[in-house]
Amino acid sequence: MERIGVFVCHCKLMAYIDNRTVVEAISKKPGVVHAAAYKDLCIAPGLEQVKDVIKNERLDGVLVTSCSPVLHKEVFRQAVTSAGLEDHQVQVVDIRSHNGIKENTERAIEVISSALDILKASLPPVHTRVPITKKVLVIGGGIAGIRASLDIADGGYQVILVERTHSIGGHMIQYSETFPTLDCPQCIETPLMTDTGQHDNITIYAYSEIEEVTGSIGKYKVRIRKKAAYVDWDKCNGCLMCTEKCPRRVLSEYERYLDLPKRQAHRRAIWVPHAQAVPMRPIIDREQCLHFTKGKCEVCVDTCPNKAIDFDQQDSFLEIEVGAIVVASGFDLMPKSAIKEYDLDPDILEGIEFERILCPAGPTAGKVIRPSDGREPKTVAFISCCGSRDPEHGVPYCSRVCCMYLVKMALLYMHAVHDGQTFIFYIDIRTTGKGYEEFVQRAVDEDHVLYIRGKASKIFRDGDKIVVWGSDTLTGKRIEVAVDLVVLGMAMLPSDGAKELADKLGIATDEHGFMMELHPKLRPLESSVPGIYLAGCCQGPKDIQDSVAQGGGAASKVLALFAQDEVILEEAVTS
Amino acid sequence: MEKRIGVFVCHCGLNIAGTVDVERVAEAVKDYPDVVYSDHYIYMCSDPGQELVRRTIREKNLTGVVMANCSPLMHEKTFRRVVAKEGLNPYLLEVANIREDVSWPHENEKELATKKAISVVKMAIEKLKRNMELTPMVVPLHKKALVIGGGIAGITAALEIARAGYEVLVVEKLPYVGGHAAQLAGTFPTLDRVPCLMAPMIAEMLSHPKIKVYTSAEVDEVSGYVGNFSVKIKTKPSYIDEGKCNNCGLCLDKCPVTCPSEFDRGLAERKAIYITPPETMSQEVLIDSESCLHFNGDECHACEEICPTKAIDFLQQETTVEETVGGIVVATGYELWDKKNIPEYESDPDVIDGLQFERILSPSGPTGGEIRRPSDGKIPKQIVFISCCGSRDPEHGFIYCSRVCCMYIAKQAVLYSRTVPDGQAYVFYIDIRSDSKGYEEFVQSAMEEERVLYLRGRVSKLFRDGDKIKVWGADTLTGKSVEISADLVIMATAITPREDAIALARKLNVTVDAIGFLTEAHPKLQPVETLTTGIYIAGTVQWPRDIPDTIASTGGAVSKVLSLFSRKELLHEPTIAWPDEEVCSGCGICASVCTYNAIEIDPIKRVAKVNEAVCEGCGACIASCPSGAMRHKNWNARQFMEMIDIATGAYV
Repeated sequence: MERIGVFVCHCKLMAYIDNRTVVEAISKKPGVVHAAAYKDLCIAPGLEQVKDVIKNERLDGVLVTSCSPVLHKEVFRQAVTSAGLEDHQVQVVDIRSHNGIKENTERAIEVISSALDILKASLPPVHTRVPITKKVLVIGGGIAGIRASLDIADGGYQVILVERTHSIGGHMIQYSETFPTLDCPQCIETPLMTDTGQHDNITIYAYSEIEEVTGSIGKYKVRIRKKAAYVDWDKCNGCLMCTEKCPRRVLSEYERYLDLPKRQAHRRAIWVPHAQAVPMRPIIDREQCLHFTKGKCEVCVDTCPNKAIDFDQQDSFLEIEVGAIVVASGFDLMPKSAIKEYDLDPDILEGIEFERILCPAGPTAGKVIRPSDGREPKTVAFISCCGSRDPEHGVPYCSRVCCMYLVKMALLYMHAVHDGQTFIFYIDIRTTGKGYEEFVQRAVDEDHVLYIRGKASKIFRDGDKIVVWGSDTLTGKRIEVAVDLVVLGMAMLPSDGAKELADKLGIATDEHGFMMELHPKLRPLESSVPGIYLAGCCQGPKDIQDSVAQGGGAASKVLALFAQDEVILEEAVTS
Repeated sequence: MEKRIGVFVCHCGLNIAGTVDVERVAEAVKDYPDVVYSDHYIYMCSDPGQELVRRTIREKNLTGVVMANCSPLMHEKTFRRVVAKEGLNPYLLEVANIREDVSWPHENEKELATKKAISVVKMAIEKLKRNMELTPMVVPLHKKALVIGGGIAGITAALEIARAGYEVLVVEKLPYVGGHAAQLAGTFPTLDRVPCLMAPMIAEMLSHPKIKVYTSAEVDEVSGYVGNFSVKIKTKPSYIDEGKCNNCGLCLDKCPVTCPSEFDRGLAERKAIYITPPETMSQEVLIDSESCLHFNGDECHACEEICPTKAIDFLQQETTVEETVGGIVVATGYELWDKKNIPEYESDPDVIDGLQFERILSPSGPTGGEIRRPSDGKIPKQIVFISCCGSRDPEHGFIYCSRVCCMYIAKQAVLYSRTVPDGQAYVFYIDIRSDSKGYEEFVQSAMEEERVLYLRGRVSKLFRDGDKIKVWGADTLTGKSVEISADLVIMATAITPREDAIALARKLNVTVDAIGFLTEAHPKLQPVETLTTGIYIAGTVQWPRDIPDTIASTGGAVSKVLSLFSRKELLHEPTIAWPDEEVCSGCGICASVCTYNAIEIDPIKRVAKVNEAVCEGCGACIASCPSGAMRHKNWNARQFMEMIDIATGAYV
């Protein structure tokens, strides 16, 4: 290239660069026939100027120095090609940085000089056409994954839904009722679960995990590990006789290991998480099963009418090929043991444990009891921001849903225990969704939920009571309440194993381990890798409504991709 | 024809069988008239259960099936498919819900539950006997979408639908697209400049071969139904012949009329003939007929006379086009509540709203990116932000939270502190709501690194005092009152529905809430759908939200459109209303109660006519018909009466 034009875009973001020095230095470079600084090149008048200069100066190469090419390369490319040049004759280079003005200017000159070298050496890019395998992998069967699967399947494409546990439904199905409508998930989520289970276009691999992912947009090869359930799911018809007869009772992870009186929340060694599981297929917990630990029990084998029990089953693997992937791997809660100042006590519960106790379909059938002695608690304290907004103990970010679920649980509790009293310790009440503010007002006005603005400094048992020490920042006084039960709004974390999953997929995560979106504002659903999209809490804490909207949004990305028959991958070529 | 009905009672594990004696239920209807088979099984929905149903249909030559199991919401579809596989019309299947309606609510009353289950099954048998064979209707599907609103939600929707290969029409009321987002100075928490984000999107939309953008346009009329909406789009003239105009700008200099610029929210002026703002990537000249002297009884021809290319055309008329589209995305956005609504805060040029401050902060704004206050152009050294002006304040405004103010205030305070290093920003707040990715950290850095001072409390009064604006407020954390002499005050006024949102909702036949935001079909699980199939909502037309949430909700709406368009044909449930023309008097009461506008009175026959593709079978017309002429397919009066007889018989 002999006639190169350099367009130095400046706006406020580039106030840390001395444009004049940059232009002066660059105009002396060989091959550069035009170098000038322009204000706001990226908007319409700026682009027109570029086109004019290309024509007037008969340029054969264009270098635009601006902000990130991720967003802008296409715009400049369009403008330049419409003026008669070709794709490889334009380069966009990012010269934003935030150091001192002198270093910045020098650095910008260096960056521009090397970009000039690349531009001069650029040849027309090679385009590879990859046919798109119109089948999608959805990782995670919570509400976001379910929504994404259904939307894509309704769009006419095959969906493979991989779920780590042995039923889809995610955390949502564990909740008592949802805010602000007080619908029960057992009523509103199960139809979606059933639809997913029965959809002609959806194949569910439950109790399975992603083993390996290779390939790129349009054609990913995925290896899936189907974990040994010790039950042949093809033979099993879900009658669940085995789960009735199994003699081994243990704490249930679905019930968050709640140890309730009379073993109400226990499960058997062969078990399904709940009565509406999809698929309705049991697994044997090898760690607990008497056959595996003691080598003698065969009760389930004798009970099963279909001879489905298979103690010799091994993990199996299958390979699939998909054109796109939706990651919806959800969240986990920070364990309450993370906060040393709060005692570990059966009557100090995480939010989701209390959800189970409040849940009409839960272990107590909605009867509110406290785990230690089965009594109905008359006073309950809810603590917001346990680990959230607290870099010292946990994480700096806000978990977004706790304010709402704590007040929801306080309200449900008040509806169950009319003579009860609730306290909510908070820093800020964050109720920004539709109908949320009204919900909190209702809890305060009608259900007499008492809000105390301040953090709880210490929580410990004192005889029959749990004592909460805190401060009321509005009166500036210290406060002490003795209650029967404490519920902690623990921070939301990326789900266990999210980092490993991200590594397998080759996508970026942020400093907290949440999957990183391509652009926080404009491309919140795309991962850093083309063809891999994000939905729900794997990207950051959010509530059900936002997760559902995101699940649909990720599905729209897949549907748009599958509307084409091939993707064109561009590979830059230099001489 | 002889009826041969089979009854299948499901245990649902112990869900039903734990309470209801399923064996007794099956036994009790064995000899019921027209029943030729009755049995029970542990899980009817399981593969062996489904096989049992299919085998029995074949072997017993059944003409109808009653499934006694869970709610029809769960498995009606499943068993309709099962009977259809054996050649039975799917509408000859009835579900008797003995789980949600019987076993669950009567867990401790086993005897009563069993009796109730028997009558619920008998009711289903009686209904089934009178069911007609029905076939879903096939309605045509136009694979073209209409997007109403050209803000960031509308642009995103249009691009995503077009990228999937479908045609899109975008209707924008203003002469330019970009919406409120294009007015912003920067975004939180990344502090990206907005033109950097918006320009590529707008450019792609304007040049996309599948997208047609109507600016200065409104949706005038909408009729039809999913797959077949017929819309009239009315476009205001620009009075400029685009082919001739060369954007020289001479007319702008000559035009004698100045008026406040909408894009700069009144902080700058424009002429009656003006160029659309560069941020919106359009650069088109147009005449605002409301302020132009020529259109207001004056003989002014200043622009026409100066124009070297004779591009001015005062005779241009409003145009209307009619289009047929299959799906509609409503993305008409929000409006900021007028700050005058709070009488305790004095009206003053230096008391501005959030969007006005965005323009002042914007490098391409009226002050060229320098922060100067409107009254005298001085650089303000003390500025005060007031959160929740009208939000969370049912007394003056609204009970709800506007969701974005906390964050844009933090962003504006940071941009201000960086531009005016010796300035001080104060923020009055009730709760700091920074609940999204990177937001909390952003607010923390505003406090710690940019020295923004947060005061927890409300502002009781604002008034001018010489060169300053006095701000009286409370600091609820110290319990003391505070007084600040500010140079500039920014009110974060509430995000409200657009003034014309209700009128538009009416045209589209979708619902709005008490405030005027469009309502979704279900707040949790159908957040982007309206109650009218085929019409979806995106962005702030539904509720205040920030840009990422707007983009996500738009994606959700788009996926609904794409799912819809990916179908080969559109099926409509045939269980709908039909008029008995012999009985109908044509009074029209049914038409007036129909929420779906599915009924009209045939002008010649003078009887009601149901548009089968629009009717959802809700039954409102049937209940309101004074002569009993309106009927429901498979829910006729006889069916109801027989069922009621059984239901009440068990208890009388």
